[in-house]
Amino acid sequence: MTTNKPEESVRNGNDQLSSLESSEHRILALAKGSGKGISDKDIQNEVPDLRPDQRASIINKLLAQGYFDLFNQGGTLLYKLKDPSRIQKVKGADNEEKIVYSIIEEAGNKGIWIRDIRFKSNLIPTQLNKILKILENKKLIKAVKSVSASKKKVYMLYNLEPDRTVTGGAWYCDQDFEAEFVDVLNQQCYRFLHQKLEATRDCKGGPIAARNISYASSKDVWKYISELGISKVQLSVEDMETILDTLLYDGKVERCVTTDGSHLYRAVESLLPAPGIVRIPCGVCPVLRHCSDVGSVNPKKCVYMKEWLE
Amino acid sequence: MIQYDFVTFSMGQLPDRAEYTLLADKVVLLLRYPRYLLLMKTQYGDEAEMLIEEILRQGKDTASRVIIRAATRLKESLKVEKVCLVTLRDKFLVLVNKQFVMRCPYPSEEKDVPELTIKEKQLYLPPDINLKGLSDLEEGKPGNPGDEGICWRVNLDRFHQDFRDQIMVSAISRRLDDNAGELLRQLLKQMYLRTEPWVATSNPVPFTELREAVRKQSSYPLLAQYVDQYLKIMEEDSSGFVSKVGDSSGGQYSLNMKTAFIQLTWATIENIVMERFGSKAARIFRLVKAKKFVEQEQIQQIAMIPAKEAKLLTYKLLEENFLQMQELRKSLASNVPNKTFFLFYIDLNQVARMVLEMCCKALYNAMTRREYERSENRRMIEKQQRIELITLNMKEQGATSEQLAEIEEMLTPPEQALLEKVRIMINRLNEAELQLDETMFILQLYLSYQI
Repeated sequence: MTTNKPEESVRNGNDQLSSLESSEHRILALAKGSGKGISDKDIQNEVPDLRPDQRASIINKLLAQGYFDLFNQGGTLLYKLKDPSRIQKVKGADNEEKIVYSIIEEAGNKGIWIRDIRFKSNLIPTQLNKILKILENKKLIKAVKSVSASKKKVYMLYNLEPDRTVTGGAWYCDQDFEAEFVDVLNQQCYRFLHQKLEATRDCKGGPIAARNISYASSKDVWKYISELGISKVQLSVEDMETILDTLLYDGKVERCVTTDGSHLYRAVESLLPAPGIVRIPCGVCPVLRHCSDVGSVNPKKCVYMKEWLE
Repeated sequence: MIQYDFVTFSMGQLPDRAEYTLLADKVVLLLRYPRYLLLMKTQYGDEAEMLIEEILRQGKDTASRVIIRAATRLKESLKVEKVCLVTLRDKFLVLVNKQFVMRCPYPSEEKDVPELTIKEKQLYLPPDINLKGLSDLEEGKPGNPGDEGICWRVNLDRFHQDFRDQIMVSAISRRLDDNAGELLRQLLKQMYLRTEPWVATSNPVPFTELREAVRKQSSYPLLAQYVDQYLKIMEEDSSGFVSKVGDSSGGQYSLNMKTAFIQLTWATIENIVMERFGSKAARIFRLVKAKKFVEQEQIQQIAMIPAKEAKLLTYKLLEENFLQMQELRKSLASNVPNKTFFLFYIDLNQVARMVLEMCCKALYNAMTRREYERSENRRMIEKQQRIELITLNMKEQGATSEQLAEIEEMLTPPEQALLEKVRIMINRLNEAELQLDETMFILQLYLSYQI
């Protein structure tokens, strides 16, 4: 009889363990069944013979293994079953990493700044940096330099394309503003419009017909530039409009709005030739403000004048 | 100086003392004399030019004396024996009719400090000039042409009016084409029949009259065919010279002088910015003009200029006072971190005045330099003048060519080369002064319309 007792207790323990496992499975099945998630009360109803601390340990185990997501709804805690595919990714990661990963995931393709991650996760900076390094090594997230502030790094999921506001769109190549590209496009557009203007000089149909020939819509310019093939990146009509607007601010073209809302552009001559003041060195002299009869900057000894007069 | 209208006088605080004031603007107008003479020559002929030149030299004079002096000079320059006085007198009357010369005010009553007045109607009354008296005077005999005491002076405003019209016509010709320029000229002629010359907007001109006027002149056949189309284009153009104000009798069109000069001033200043700071800076300038108030980031984005360069150029323009900055604070408390907006804008009045001052300074510099060059090489210039005088004298006395050559050689080749260089320099400075005056003219007209 006495020898039976330890076996009994072991058997009781085994029974207890197997009953724990079966309750675990039942809880999992329950969670799978309900879409919104199960609360503590639901688990209690399902497995009434579990003690509270056993229940708590099962739930913690499932959470730690990543089967459950913890949600807080109106004061009660809900446990939702996670997608099995998503479980694979963070397998082997610990709690903090999972939290950081989920925060970055939420930010979508705009990415999130390191300070914001710190606010949301309440982690200390050194720990956060370590976690980010681990996640980067696992190739789960990546850092993208933002174009607006060159030292700022935003983090986003590895396989997402960064959004346009971060990289700057067609005009930026590797965070550098492509000034020459913009200049080349500028010149080409102007040449196209100028050619149209030249064609109207021989037009005999009267001034209004001539003017209509010299107009070009932004779509025409876009087609012309795409056919030229000088750009490696596919440009949109809005990009064309930004270039044409710069020409407008150069004073070389004029813009007018048509009845269907689109813009027409036309090359124009400026109203006046170069004004008289710039034909003399004083007009472009950088030290004009210091120039007077006394002092070393005076017209009699002016070097710019000497060069100009020779 | 009173003779030339540089100084005016008026009754001061004590009734028997006069106070004199200097009119600086009139002195600067001295620079424009060559332009006036050119206008006269191209539009009215050599005699008119000579007449005006004589009046300008004297400041104010009676008609008969002017005619006689002009006749003498014409005789010398054209080398004819007799110059027809009648033509001269007729030309003078034409000038009076066109209001290029006007009568001078005369003292109205006997006072210690005379007040000069003249009635509006009398300003342009033609004088009675008696031909017999004129020809007598010319030959040196005492004679009375009948217009003693009536002095005439040049009406500079009338010249300025013509310059203004010229500028507008050439601007439109550049923008559209020559036909449009001709149309504007006709429009201006029609406008003068109805409006005072210096108002900001003219009274409307009906389309039918304009078309008639265009048809009468035959040098622009295309224009006659397409008058209405040209008018439509000019009206829609962004320069805003012409606007349609009514529809009766085919359309009423009026000229906006004020708008026209605002546009021309913008064009001038934009050109200056481009020459001084570069085309990218000009782009920024036009952007701020179009958007009225912009932030630094927007400038960068819209103008498609790299960020560092855009900031550099914007702040350079700010430093030279072409752009101004406006601060907008969100709250006045300084402990709360708040975002203060810095907006850039352009104040055209201020910039125009600043550029005008720049022009004046450049003018002064050019003149100083010219004087300096002349005084540096004075010895040489005097030597050359002496040699010329000697050559002339000897030619009159009938010297041989060898003697002439000998005298020529007194001036060595390096000296000749230097003299040539100095002459070119002085010419170039003169040209620069005239061109500066053109810019100053536009700016002054703009500022006068603003008041």
